[in-house]
Amino acid sequence: MIHIENLRKTYATYHRGNSFKEAIGSMFVRDKVLVEALKGISFDIGKGELVGFLGPNGAGKSTTLKILTGILHPTSGTANILNYTPWKDRKKYVGNIGAVFGQKSQLLWDIPPIDAFYLNKAIYSIPEKEFESNLSNMVELLSVGDIMKKPTRQLSLGERMKCEFIMALLHMPKIVFLDEPTIGLDVIAKDKIRDFIQEMNKRGVTFILTTHDIQDIERLAKRVIVINHGELVFDNSLEALRNHMGEKKIVRLSTEKPIKNINLKGVSITNSLSDYDAELELDMSLMKLNEFITYINNSCIVKDLAIQEVPIESAIKDIFTSI
Amino acid sequence: MTSGFSVQVEAVKASLYSRMAYRGDFFISISLTFIFEFITPLVTLLIYSNGSSFPGWTLYQVLLIQGVFMMSKGIAFMFFYGLVGNVLGGVQSGTFDMFLLRPRLVLFMAIATGFDSEELGKFIGGLILFIVALIHLPTPSFIQWIQFILLMITSLLVMFSFSLISSGVVFVWVGCSRVYEIFDSISSFGIYPRTIFSKGIQNIITFIVPIVMIGFFPASILLGKNINGVLFGVISSISFVLLSLCFWYWMLSKYTSAGC
Repeated sequence: MIHIENLRKTYATYHRGNSFKEAIGSMFVRDKVLVEALKGISFDIGKGELVGFLGPNGAGKSTTLKILTGILHPTSGTANILNYTPWKDRKKYVGNIGAVFGQKSQLLWDIPPIDAFYLNKAIYSIPEKEFESNLSNMVELLSVGDIMKKPTRQLSLGERMKCEFIMALLHMPKIVFLDEPTIGLDVIAKDKIRDFIQEMNKRGVTFILTTHDIQDIERLAKRVIVINHGELVFDNSLEALRNHMGEKKIVRLSTEKPIKNINLKGVSITNSLSDYDAELELDMSLMKLNEFITYINNSCIVKDLAIQEVPIESAIKDIFTSI
Repeated sequence: MTSGFSVQVEAVKASLYSRMAYRGDFFISISLTFIFEFITPLVTLLIYSNGSSFPGWTLYQVLLIQGVFMMSKGIAFMFFYGLVGNVLGGVQSGTFDMFLLRPRLVLFMAIATGFDSEELGKFIGGLILFIVALIHLPTPSFIQWIQFILLMITSLLVMFSFSLISSGVVFVWVGCSRVYEIFDSISSFGIYPRTIFSKGIQNIITFIVPIVMIGFFPASILLGKNINGVLFGVISSISFVLLSLCFWYWMLSKYTSAGC
Protein backbone atom coordinates (compact mmCIF):
# COMPACT_ATOMS: atom_id res chain seq x y z
CA MET A 1 0.00 0.00 0.00
CA ILE A 2 2.87 2.37 0.85
CA HIS A 3 6.27 1.83 -0.70
CA ILE A 4 8.97 4.39 0.02
CA GLU A 5 12.46 4.07 -1.37
CA ASN A 6 15.55 6.09 -0.67
CA LEU A 7 13.67 9.30 0.09
CA ARG A 8 15.94 12.32 0.46
CA LYS A 9 15.15 15.90 1.20
CA THR A 10 17.68 18.69 1.34
CA TYR A 11 16.55 22.25 1.80
CA ALA A 12 18.29 25.57 2.08
CA THR A 13 17.99 27.77 5.10
CA TYR A 14 19.74 30.97 6.05
CA HIS A 15 22.01 31.51 9.01
CA ARG A 16 21.19 34.82 10.67
CA GLY A 17 23.32 34.78 13.82
CA ASN A 18 22.11 35.95 17.18
CA SER A 19 23.88 39.25 17.78
CA PHE A 20 22.44 42.61 16.72
CA LYS A 21 25.36 43.14 14.34
CA GLU A 22 24.78 39.74 12.70
CA ALA A 23 21.04 40.41 12.45
CA ILE A 24 21.68 43.74 10.68
CA GLY A 25 24.31 42.12 8.45
CA SER A 26 21.92 39.32 7.49
CA MET A 27 19.54 41.89 5.99
CA PHE A 28 22.10 42.42 3.23
CA VAL A 29 24.14 39.21 3.02
CA ARG A 30 22.90 35.87 4.31
CA ASP A 31 24.82 32.64 4.73
CA LYS A 32 23.01 29.84 2.96
CA VAL A 33 23.04 26.57 4.89
CA LEU A 34 21.96 23.28 3.34
CA VAL A 35 20.05 21.01 5.70
CA GLU A 36 19.77 17.30 4.96
CA ALA A 37 16.37 16.61 6.52
CA LEU A 38 16.10 13.08 5.08
CA LYS A 39 19.09 10.99 4.10
CA GLY A 40 17.50 8.18 2.12
CA ILE A 41 14.80 6.44 4.09
CA SER A 42 12.95 3.37 2.80
CA PHE A 43 10.04 1.39 4.20
CA ASP A 44 6.84 -0.41 3.25
CA ILE A 45 3.49 -0.27 5.02
CA GLY A 46 0.68 -2.71 4.34
CA LYS A 47 -3.09 -2.17 4.25
CA GLY A 48 -4.69 -1.84 7.67
CA GLU A 49 -1.44 -1.34 9.58
CA LEU A 50 -1.16 1.19 12.39
CA VAL A 51 2.43 2.30 12.46
CA GLY A 52 4.04 4.53 15.07
CA PHE A 53 6.47 6.94 13.45
CA LEU A 54 8.87 8.23 16.05
CA GLY A 55 11.92 10.39 16.34
CA PRO A 56 13.26 13.27 18.42
CA ASN A 57 12.53 16.88 17.46
CA GLY A 58 14.16 17.72 14.13
CA ALA A 59 14.60 14.07 13.17
CA GLY A 60 12.69 14.48 9.90
CA LYS A 61 9.30 13.04 10.89
CA SER A 62 7.23 16.02 9.77
CA THR A 63 9.24 16.38 6.56
CA THR A 64 8.53 12.71 5.79
CA LEU A 65 4.85 13.17 6.53
CA LYS A 66 4.68 16.28 4.34
CA ILE A 67 6.28 14.40 1.46
CA LEU A 68 3.95 11.43 1.93
CA THR A 69 0.91 13.73 1.94
CA GLY A 70 2.02 15.47 -1.27
CA ILE A 71 2.75 18.82 0.40
CA LEU A 72 6.49 18.76 -0.28
CA HIS A 73 8.60 17.42 -3.13
CA PRO A 74 11.56 15.26 -2.10
CA THR A 75 15.02 16.02 -3.45
CA SER A 76 15.25 12.42 -4.68
CA GLY A 77 13.79 8.99 -4.08
CA THR A 78 10.51 7.34 -4.95
CA ALA A 79 7.17 6.81 -3.26
CA ASN A 80 4.30 4.67 -4.42
CA ILE A 81 1.22 5.09 -2.27
CA LEU A 82 -2.06 3.59 -3.50
CA ASN A 83 -0.38 3.57 -6.94
CA TYR A 84 0.19 7.32 -6.84
CA THR A 85 3.30 9.42 -6.45
CA PRO A 86 2.06 11.92 -3.83
CA TRP A 87 3.87 15.02 -5.11
CA LYS A 88 3.16 14.29 -8.78
CA ASP A 89 -0.46 13.07 -8.56
CA ARG A 90 -1.37 15.32 -5.62
CA LYS A 91 -4.92 16.21 -6.67
CA LYS A 92 -6.06 12.62 -7.29
CA TYR A 93 -4.01 11.19 -4.44
CA VAL A 94 -5.13 13.43 -1.55
CA GLY A 95 -8.76 12.43 -2.09
CA ASN A 96 -7.75 9.03 -0.73
CA ILE A 97 -5.93 10.19 2.36
CA GLY A 98 -6.71 12.16 5.48
CA ALA A 99 -4.46 14.07 7.83
CA VAL A 100 -4.74 15.43 11.33
CA PHE A 101 -2.09 17.85 12.46
CA GLY A 102 -2.30 18.48 16.19
CA GLN A 103 -1.02 22.00 15.73
CA LYS A 104 -2.79 23.01 12.51
CA SER A 105 -6.54 23.21 12.50
CA GLN A 106 -8.75 22.39 9.53
CA LEU A 107 -11.83 23.77 11.27
CA LEU A 108 -13.01 27.35 10.84
CA TRP A 109 -12.53 29.34 14.02
CA ASP A 110 -15.71 31.44 14.08
CA ILE A 111 -18.26 28.97 12.82
CA PRO A 112 -19.51 25.63 14.18
CA PRO A 113 -17.71 22.44 13.07
CA ILE A 114 -20.85 21.25 11.28
CA ASP A 115 -20.48 24.10 8.74
CA ALA A 116 -16.85 23.12 8.14
CA PHE A 117 -18.00 19.51 7.63
CA TYR A 118 -20.41 20.69 4.92
CA LEU A 119 -17.56 22.56 3.24
CA ASN A 120 -15.54 19.32 3.21
CA LYS A 121 -18.56 17.47 1.84
CA ALA A 122 -18.47 19.81 -1.18
CA ILE A 123 -14.67 19.71 -1.51
CA TYR A 124 -14.52 15.89 -1.48
CA SER A 125 -17.82 15.53 -3.40
CA ILE A 126 -19.19 13.17 -0.74
CA PRO A 127 -22.68 11.91 -1.69
CA GLU A 128 -25.41 13.09 0.71
CA LYS A 129 -26.28 9.62 2.07
CA GLU A 130 -22.64 8.67 2.61
CA PHE A 131 -21.98 12.00 4.32
CA GLU A 132 -24.92 11.60 6.70
CA SER A 133 -24.02 8.03 7.56
CA ASN A 134 -20.28 8.73 8.07
CA LEU A 135 -21.05 11.80 10.12
CA SER A 136 -23.57 10.15 12.45
CA ASN A 137 -21.23 7.19 12.86
CA MET A 138 -18.27 9.32 13.88
CA VAL A 139 -20.35 11.68 16.01
CA GLU A 140 -21.50 8.65 17.97
CA LEU A 141 -18.01 7.15 18.26
CA LEU A 142 -16.55 10.44 19.53
CA SER A 143 -19.64 11.56 21.50
CA VAL A 144 -19.69 15.05 19.98
CA GLY A 145 -23.40 15.32 19.10
CA ASP A 146 -24.05 18.32 21.33
CA ILE A 147 -20.99 20.38 20.39
CA MET A 148 -21.13 20.34 16.60
CA LYS A 149 -23.31 23.42 16.41
CA LYS A 150 -21.24 25.54 18.81
CA PRO A 151 -18.70 27.93 17.26
CA THR A 152 -15.28 26.28 17.13
CA ARG A 153 -13.72 29.03 19.23
CA GLN A 154 -16.01 28.04 22.14
CA LEU A 155 -14.89 24.41 22.14
CA SER A 156 -12.30 22.90 24.46
CA LEU A 157 -9.07 21.57 22.92
CA GLY A 158 -10.32 18.00 23.33
CA GLU A 159 -13.64 18.77 21.64
CA ARG A 160 -11.85 20.56 18.83
CA MET A 161 -9.51 17.66 18.26
CA LYS A 162 -12.42 15.21 18.05
CA CYS A 163 -13.99 17.45 15.39
CA GLU A 164 -10.63 17.61 13.56
CA PHE A 165 -10.78 13.82 13.32
CA ILE A 166 -14.28 13.92 11.85
CA MET A 167 -13.15 16.59 9.38
CA ALA A 168 -10.21 14.42 8.26
CA LEU A 169 -12.16 11.16 8.01
CA LEU A 170 -15.55 12.22 6.64
CA HIS A 171 -14.57 11.16 3.12
CA MET A 172 -13.44 7.74 4.43
CA PRO A 173 -9.78 7.92 3.44
CA LYS A 174 -7.78 4.72 3.00
CA ILE A 175 -4.75 6.15 4.79
CA VAL A 176 -4.66 8.70 7.61
CA PHE A 177 -1.56 10.59 8.68
CA LEU A 178 -1.60 11.77 12.28
CA ASP A 179 0.92 14.31 13.52
CA GLU A 180 0.76 14.59 17.32
CA PRO A 181 -3.02 14.18 17.48
CA THR A 182 -3.19 14.02 21.28
CA ILE A 183 -0.89 16.96 22.05
CA GLY A 184 -2.14 18.98 25.02
CA LEU A 185 -5.20 16.81 25.67
CA ASP A 186 -6.38 15.50 29.04
CA VAL A 187 -6.41 11.76 29.74
CA ILE A 188 -10.12 11.35 29.03
CA ALA A 189 -9.96 13.08 25.66
CA LYS A 190 -6.79 11.14 24.77
CA ASP A 191 -8.53 7.90 25.63
CA LYS A 192 -11.55 8.74 23.50
CA ILE A 193 -9.37 9.63 20.54
CA ARG A 194 -7.27 6.49 20.91
CA ASP A 195 -10.47 4.39 21.01
CA PHE A 196 -11.62 6.13 17.83
CA ILE A 197 -8.32 5.50 16.02
CA GLN A 198 -8.43 1.87 17.09
CA GLU A 199 -12.02 1.47 15.87
CA MET A 200 -11.31 3.09 12.49
CA ASN A 201 -8.21 0.90 12.14
CA LYS A 202 -10.36 -2.18 12.75
CA ARG A 203 -12.54 -0.98 9.89
CA GLY A 204 -9.53 -1.12 7.59
CA VAL A 205 -8.10 2.41 7.70
CA THR A 206 -4.30 2.49 7.65
CA PHE A 207 -2.75 4.93 10.13
CA ILE A 208 0.69 6.47 10.34
CA LEU A 209 1.01 8.04 13.75
CA THR A 210 3.66 10.56 14.70
CA THR A 211 3.69 11.38 18.39
CA HIS A 212 5.86 12.16 21.37
CA ASP A 213 3.30 10.52 23.66
CA ILE A 214 4.57 6.99 24.23
CA GLN A 215 1.19 5.91 25.57
CA ASP A 216 -0.27 6.58 22.09
CA ILE A 217 2.28 4.13 20.70
CA GLU A 218 1.86 1.51 23.44
CA ARG A 219 -1.89 1.63 23.13
CA LEU A 220 -2.21 1.76 19.34
CA ALA A 221 0.83 0.75 17.31
CA LYS A 222 1.84 -2.78 16.47
CA ARG A 223 4.81 -1.61 14.49
CA VAL A 224 7.25 1.22 15.14
CA ILE A 225 9.49 3.11 12.75
CA VAL A 226 12.10 5.35 14.35
CA ILE A 227 14.05 7.97 12.44
CA ASN A 228 16.84 10.15 13.73
CA HIS A 229 18.98 12.75 11.94
CA GLY A 230 17.05 11.93 8.76
CA GLU A 231 17.93 8.22 8.84
CA LEU A 232 15.77 5.21 9.59
CA VAL A 233 17.20 3.63 12.73
CA PHE A 234 14.52 1.15 13.74
CA ASP A 235 11.69 -0.59 11.92
CA ASN A 236 10.14 -3.47 13.78
CA SER A 237 7.26 -4.55 16.00
CA LEU A 238 6.40 -2.85 19.28
CA GLU A 239 7.44 -6.09 20.99
CA ALA A 240 10.88 -5.88 19.37
CA LEU A 241 11.15 -2.32 20.58
CA ARG A 242 10.36 -3.46 24.13
CA ASN A 243 12.99 -6.22 23.81
CA HIS A 244 15.52 -3.71 22.52
CA MET A 245 16.64 -3.20 26.09
CA GLY A 246 17.35 -6.93 26.43
CA GLU A 247 16.13 -8.98 29.39
CA LYS A 248 16.24 -6.08 31.77
CA LYS A 249 13.80 -5.45 34.61
CA ILE A 250 13.30 -2.60 37.01
CA VAL A 251 13.20 -3.73 40.66
CA ARG A 252 11.78 -1.46 43.40
CA LEU A 253 13.03 -2.62 46.74
CA SER A 254 12.35 -1.86 50.44
CA THR A 255 14.51 -3.65 53.04
CA GLU A 256 14.99 -3.92 56.80
CA LYS A 257 18.78 -3.51 56.58
CA PRO A 258 20.50 -0.75 54.58
CA ILE A 259 21.07 -1.47 50.91
CA LYS A 260 24.79 -0.97 50.37
CA ASN A 261 27.40 -2.06 47.89
CA ILE A 262 25.56 -4.60 45.83
CA ASN A 263 28.41 -6.13 43.89
CA LEU A 264 26.44 -8.41 41.64
CA LYS A 265 27.05 -8.79 37.93
CA GLY A 266 23.99 -7.47 36.01
CA VAL A 267 22.63 -5.42 38.92
CA SER A 268 22.95 -1.67 39.27
CA ILE A 269 21.28 0.85 41.56
CA THR A 270 19.56 3.40 39.34
CA ASN A 271 17.86 5.43 42.06
CA SER A 272 18.71 5.37 45.75
CA LEU A 273 15.66 6.76 47.57
CA SER A 274 16.97 6.15 51.12
CA ASP A 275 19.25 3.67 52.89
CA TYR A 276 16.38 1.18 52.85
CA ASP A 277 14.62 1.98 49.57
CA ALA A 278 16.07 1.82 46.09
CA GLU A 279 15.33 1.24 42.45
CA LEU A 280 17.61 -1.22 40.68
CA GLU A 281 18.09 -2.39 37.12
CA LEU A 282 18.47 -6.13 36.78
CA ASP A 283 19.84 -7.72 33.61
CA MET A 284 18.42 -11.23 33.73
CA SER A 285 20.80 -12.52 31.10
CA LEU A 286 23.60 -12.03 33.66
CA MET A 287 21.79 -12.70 36.92
CA LYS A 288 18.71 -14.88 37.35
CA LEU A 289 15.77 -13.33 39.17
CA ASN A 290 15.50 -16.05 41.84
CA GLU A 291 19.25 -15.83 42.58
CA PHE A 292 18.96 -12.07 42.89
CA ILE A 293 15.98 -12.32 45.30
CA THR A 294 17.75 -14.93 47.45
CA TYR A 295 20.88 -12.80 47.61
CA ILE A 296 19.09 -9.57 48.47
CA ASN A 297 16.86 -11.25 51.06
CA ASN A 298 19.86 -12.83 52.76
CA SER A 299 21.87 -9.62 52.84
CA CYS A 300 19.19 -6.93 53.50
CA ILE A 301 15.91 -8.77 54.42
CA VAL A 302 13.26 -7.81 51.87
CA LYS A 303 10.21 -5.91 53.21
CA ASP A 304 8.66 -5.18 49.85
CA LEU A 305 9.63 -5.85 46.25
CA ALA A 306 8.08 -4.90 42.91
CA ILE A 307 9.33 -5.99 39.49
CA GLN A 308 8.50 -3.92 36.42
CA GLU A 309 9.29 -3.90 32.72
CA VAL A 310 11.83 -1.32 31.54
CA PRO A 311 9.72 1.61 30.30
CA ILE A 312 9.47 1.80 26.50
CA GLU A 313 10.76 5.39 26.72
CA SER A 314 14.15 3.98 27.76
CA ALA A 315 14.29 1.79 24.65
CA ILE A 316 13.36 4.73 22.43
CA LYS A 317 15.83 7.01 24.19
CA ASP A 318 18.50 4.36 23.68
CA ILE A 319 17.72 4.19 19.95
CA PHE A 320 17.67 8.00 19.67
CA THR A 321 21.11 8.29 21.26
CA SER A 322 22.69 5.28 19.56
CA ILE A 323 23.60 7.20 16.38
CA MET B 1 -17.57 22.35 -12.93
CA THR B 2 -20.76 21.78 -10.90
CA SER B 3 -18.80 20.41 -7.96
CA GLY B 4 -16.43 23.40 -8.18
CA PHE B 5 -19.45 25.70 -8.01
CA SER B 6 -20.82 23.88 -4.95
CA VAL B 7 -17.42 24.29 -3.23
CA GLN B 8 -17.55 28.01 -4.04
CA VAL B 9 -21.11 28.24 -2.63
CA GLU B 10 -20.16 26.42 0.59
CA ALA B 11 -17.01 28.55 0.97
CA VAL B 12 -19.02 31.77 0.51
CA LYS B 13 -21.55 30.55 3.08
CA ALA B 14 -18.79 29.64 5.55
CA SER B 15 -17.14 33.03 5.04
CA LEU B 16 -20.44 34.87 5.55
CA TYR B 17 -21.19 32.89 8.71
CA SER B 18 -17.68 33.72 10.01
CA ARG B 19 -18.08 37.43 9.33
CA MET B 20 -21.59 37.52 10.77
CA ALA B 21 -20.34 35.99 14.00
CA TYR B 22 -19.16 39.51 14.80
CA ARG B 23 -22.19 41.55 13.69
CA GLY B 24 -20.86 44.91 14.82
CA ASP B 25 -17.57 44.47 12.98
CA PHE B 26 -19.40 43.17 9.89
CA PHE B 27 -21.58 46.28 9.48
CA ILE B 28 -18.86 48.75 10.52
CA SER B 29 -16.37 47.20 8.07
CA ILE B 30 -18.80 47.33 5.13
CA SER B 31 -19.74 50.94 5.98
CA LEU B 32 -16.13 52.09 6.37
CA THR B 33 -15.07 50.42 3.13
CA PHE B 34 -17.99 52.20 1.45
CA ILE B 35 -17.01 55.59 2.95
CA PHE B 36 -13.24 55.30 2.23
CA GLU B 37 -13.88 54.41 -1.40
CA PHE B 38 -15.64 57.77 -1.86
CA ILE B 39 -12.49 59.77 -1.10
CA THR B 40 -11.28 59.76 -4.74
CA PRO B 41 -14.69 60.78 -6.22
CA LEU B 42 -14.93 63.54 -3.59
CA VAL B 43 -11.49 64.85 -4.60
CA THR B 44 -12.68 64.80 -8.25
CA LEU B 45 -15.80 66.71 -7.25
CA LEU B 46 -13.65 69.24 -5.40
CA ILE B 47 -11.43 69.73 -8.47
CA TYR B 48 -14.42 70.40 -10.75
CA SER B 49 -16.31 72.59 -8.25
CA ASN B 50 -13.23 74.85 -8.09
CA GLY B 51 -13.33 75.44 -11.79
CA SER B 52 -10.52 73.03 -12.70
CA SER B 53 -10.95 69.86 -14.76
CA PHE B 54 -9.26 66.95 -16.52
CA PRO B 55 -8.96 68.35 -20.07
CA GLY B 56 -11.53 66.80 -22.41
CA TRP B 57 -13.51 65.13 -19.63
CA THR B 58 -16.62 66.32 -17.83
CA LEU B 59 -17.18 65.64 -14.12
CA TYR B 60 -19.69 62.83 -14.71
CA GLN B 61 -17.49 61.18 -17.33
CA VAL B 62 -14.63 61.01 -14.79
CA LEU B 63 -17.02 59.80 -12.08
CA LEU B 64 -18.17 57.06 -14.45
CA ILE B 65 -14.54 55.84 -14.83
CA GLN B 66 -14.15 55.88 -11.06
CA GLY B 67 -17.49 54.08 -10.56
CA VAL B 68 -16.49 51.32 -13.01
CA PHE B 69 -13.08 51.08 -11.32
CA MET B 70 -14.73 50.71 -7.89
CA MET B 71 -17.19 48.10 -9.10
CA SER B 72 -14.42 46.04 -10.65
CA LYS B 73 -12.30 46.37 -7.52
CA GLY B 74 -15.31 45.49 -5.34
CA ILE B 75 -16.06 42.29 -7.26
CA ALA B 76 -12.38 41.34 -7.39
CA PHE B 77 -11.73 41.98 -3.71
CA MET B 78 -14.88 40.12 -2.73
CA PHE B 79 -14.35 37.01 -4.85
CA PHE B 80 -10.65 36.55 -5.54
CA TYR B 81 -8.42 39.04 -3.78
CA GLY B 82 -8.80 36.96 -0.57
CA LEU B 83 -6.22 34.77 -2.31
CA VAL B 84 -3.55 37.26 -1.20
CA GLY B 85 -4.58 37.06 2.47
CA ASN B 86 -4.81 33.25 2.34
CA VAL B 87 -1.31 32.90 0.90
CA LEU B 88 0.16 35.64 3.09
CA GLY B 89 -1.13 34.15 6.35
CA GLY B 90 -0.90 30.52 5.26
CA VAL B 91 2.74 30.66 4.19
CA GLN B 92 3.75 32.50 7.35
CA SER B 93 2.00 30.05 9.70
CA GLY B 94 2.38 26.89 7.61
CA THR B 95 -1.40 26.45 7.30
CA PHE B 96 -1.14 26.78 3.52
CA ASP B 97 -0.49 23.02 3.74
CA MET B 98 -4.22 22.56 4.24
CA PHE B 99 -4.94 23.78 0.69
CA LEU B 100 -2.50 21.20 -0.65
CA LEU B 101 -4.33 18.46 1.23
CA ARG B 102 -7.54 19.03 -0.69
CA PRO B 103 -8.33 17.14 -3.91
CA ARG B 104 -8.78 20.39 -5.82
CA LEU B 105 -6.60 22.92 -7.62
CA VAL B 106 -4.59 24.73 -4.94
CA LEU B 107 -5.31 28.06 -6.59
CA PHE B 108 -9.04 27.37 -6.65
CA MET B 109 -9.08 26.39 -2.97
CA ALA B 110 -7.13 29.48 -1.95
CA ILE B 111 -9.50 31.72 -3.95
CA ALA B 112 -12.77 30.01 -2.95
CA THR B 113 -12.02 30.12 0.77
CA GLY B 114 -10.88 33.75 0.53
CA PHE B 115 -14.33 35.23 -0.14
CA ASP B 116 -14.58 38.58 1.65
CA SER B 117 -18.07 40.00 2.17
CA GLU B 118 -16.59 43.19 3.66
CA GLU B 119 -15.67 44.31 0.15
CA LEU B 120 -19.36 44.48 -0.74
CA GLY B 121 -19.11 48.12 0.40
CA LYS B 122 -16.68 48.84 -2.47
CA PHE B 123 -19.01 47.32 -5.03
CA ILE B 124 -22.12 49.09 -3.72
CA GLY B 125 -20.21 52.39 -3.62
CA GLY B 126 -19.05 51.87 -7.19
CA LEU B 127 -22.52 50.92 -8.36
CA ILE B 128 -24.06 54.07 -6.81
CA LEU B 129 -21.39 56.26 -8.40
CA PHE B 130 -21.88 54.48 -11.74
CA ILE B 131 -25.68 55.02 -11.69
CA VAL B 132 -25.39 58.66 -10.59
CA ALA B 133 -22.88 59.38 -13.38
CA LEU B 134 -24.95 57.57 -16.01
CA ILE B 135 -28.09 59.57 -15.14
CA HIS B 136 -26.17 62.71 -16.11
CA LEU B 137 -24.79 61.26 -19.34
CA PRO B 138 -26.33 60.25 -22.71
CA THR B 139 -27.92 56.79 -22.60
CA PRO B 140 -25.57 54.16 -24.11
CA SER B 141 -26.81 51.94 -26.92
CA PHE B 142 -27.39 48.18 -26.62
CA ILE B 143 -24.14 47.48 -28.51
CA GLN B 144 -22.25 49.76 -26.12
CA TRP B 145 -23.66 47.78 -23.15
CA ILE B 146 -22.51 44.48 -24.71
CA GLN B 147 -19.04 45.93 -25.33
CA PHE B 148 -19.04 47.28 -21.77
CA ILE B 149 -19.82 43.82 -20.29
CA LEU B 150 -17.03 42.22 -22.33
CA LEU B 151 -14.56 44.88 -21.19
CA MET B 152 -15.72 44.48 -17.57
CA ILE B 153 -14.79 40.80 -17.83
CA THR B 154 -11.37 41.86 -19.12
CA SER B 155 -11.19 44.36 -16.27
CA LEU B 156 -11.77 41.53 -13.77
CA LEU B 157 -9.08 39.47 -15.53
CA VAL B 158 -6.60 42.30 -14.92
CA MET B 159 -7.66 42.47 -11.27
CA PHE B 160 -7.22 38.70 -11.08
CA SER B 161 -3.69 39.08 -12.46
CA PHE B 162 -2.88 41.57 -9.71
CA SER B 163 -4.12 39.13 -7.08
CA LEU B 164 -1.98 36.37 -8.63
CA ILE B 165 1.14 38.55 -8.67
CA SER B 166 0.60 39.92 -5.16
CA SER B 167 -0.03 36.46 -3.68
CA GLY B 168 2.75 34.86 -5.73
CA VAL B 169 5.26 37.32 -4.36
CA VAL B 170 4.45 36.45 -0.73
CA PHE B 171 5.43 32.80 -1.26
CA VAL B 172 8.99 34.12 -1.28
CA TRP B 173 8.70 37.44 0.57
CA VAL B 174 7.11 35.74 3.55
CA GLY B 175 4.90 38.06 5.61
CA CYS B 176 5.17 41.02 3.20
CA SER B 177 1.78 42.62 3.86
CA ARG B 178 2.80 45.70 1.85
CA VAL B 179 1.70 43.94 -1.34
CA TYR B 180 -1.72 45.53 -0.89
CA GLU B 181 -0.19 49.01 -0.86
CA ILE B 182 1.96 48.20 -3.89
CA PHE B 183 -1.24 47.28 -5.75
CA ASP B 184 -3.03 50.44 -4.57
CA SER B 185 -0.15 52.63 -5.78
CA ILE B 186 0.05 51.00 -9.19
CA SER B 187 -3.70 50.80 -9.72
CA SER B 188 -4.24 54.47 -8.81
CA PHE B 189 -3.23 55.23 -12.44
CA GLY B 190 -6.52 53.60 -13.44
CA ILE B 191 -8.92 55.90 -11.61
CA TYR B 192 -8.32 58.90 -13.89
CA PRO B 193 -8.71 59.32 -17.66
CA ARG B 194 -5.70 57.85 -19.48
CA THR B 195 -5.26 61.01 -21.57
CA ILE B 196 -4.05 63.06 -18.58
CA PHE B 197 -0.80 61.03 -18.49
CA SER B 198 2.25 61.38 -20.75
CA LYS B 199 2.48 59.21 -23.88
CA GLY B 200 5.09 56.90 -22.25
CA ILE B 201 2.96 56.22 -19.19
CA GLN B 202 -0.11 55.73 -21.40
CA ASN B 203 1.72 52.99 -23.30
CA ILE B 204 2.89 51.29 -20.11
CA ILE B 205 -0.60 51.29 -18.52
CA THR B 206 -2.20 50.08 -21.75
CA PHE B 207 0.19 47.50 -23.16
CA ILE B 208 2.51 46.34 -20.36
CA VAL B 209 0.51 46.52 -17.13
CA PRO B 210 -3.00 47.10 -18.54
CA ILE B 211 -4.38 49.18 -15.67
CA VAL B 212 -6.51 51.27 -18.03
CA MET B 213 -8.53 48.15 -18.67
CA ILE B 214 -9.89 48.22 -15.10
CA GLY B 215 -11.94 51.41 -15.34
CA PHE B 216 -10.98 53.65 -18.25
CA PHE B 217 -11.67 51.40 -21.25
CA PRO B 218 -15.04 49.97 -20.07
CA ALA B 219 -16.27 53.45 -19.08
CA SER B 220 -15.02 55.00 -22.34
CA ILE B 221 -16.99 52.45 -24.37
CA LEU B 222 -20.17 53.43 -22.53
CA LEU B 223 -19.40 57.09 -23.17
CA GLY B 224 -18.97 56.44 -26.87
CA LYS B 225 -15.46 57.94 -26.76
CA ASN B 226 -13.24 57.27 -29.71
CA ILE B 227 -10.24 55.62 -27.99
CA ASN B 228 -7.23 53.89 -29.47
CA GLY B 229 -5.73 50.61 -28.33
CA VAL B 230 -8.82 48.78 -26.96
CA LEU B 231 -8.05 45.60 -28.93
CA PHE B 232 -4.36 45.74 -27.99
CA GLY B 233 -5.44 46.38 -24.39
CA VAL B 234 -7.59 43.24 -24.42
CA ILE B 235 -4.76 41.18 -25.92
CA SER B 236 -2.25 42.51 -23.40
CA SER B 237 -4.74 41.82 -20.56
CA ILE B 238 -5.10 38.19 -21.62
CA SER B 239 -1.30 37.88 -21.92
CA PHE B 240 -0.99 39.54 -18.51
CA VAL B 241 -3.30 36.91 -16.92
CA LEU B 242 -1.44 34.02 -18.54
CA LEU B 243 1.94 35.36 -17.42
CA SER B 244 0.58 35.98 -13.90
CA LEU B 245 -0.71 32.40 -13.74
CA CYS B 246 2.71 31.05 -14.76
CA PHE B 247 4.33 33.33 -12.18
CA TRP B 248 1.96 32.12 -9.42
CA TYR B 249 2.62 28.45 -10.10
CA TRP B 250 6.35 29.10 -10.30
CA MET B 251 6.20 30.80 -6.89
CA LEU B 252 4.05 27.95 -5.52
CA SER B 253 6.82 25.52 -6.49
CA LYS B 254 9.06 27.46 -4.09
CA TYR B 255 6.71 26.84 -1.15
CA THR B 256 8.62 25.09 1.61
CA SER B 257 5.94 24.83 4.32
CA ALA B 258 6.63 25.86 7.89
CA GLY B 259 6.55 24.46 11.39
CA CYS B 260 5.80 20.87 12.26
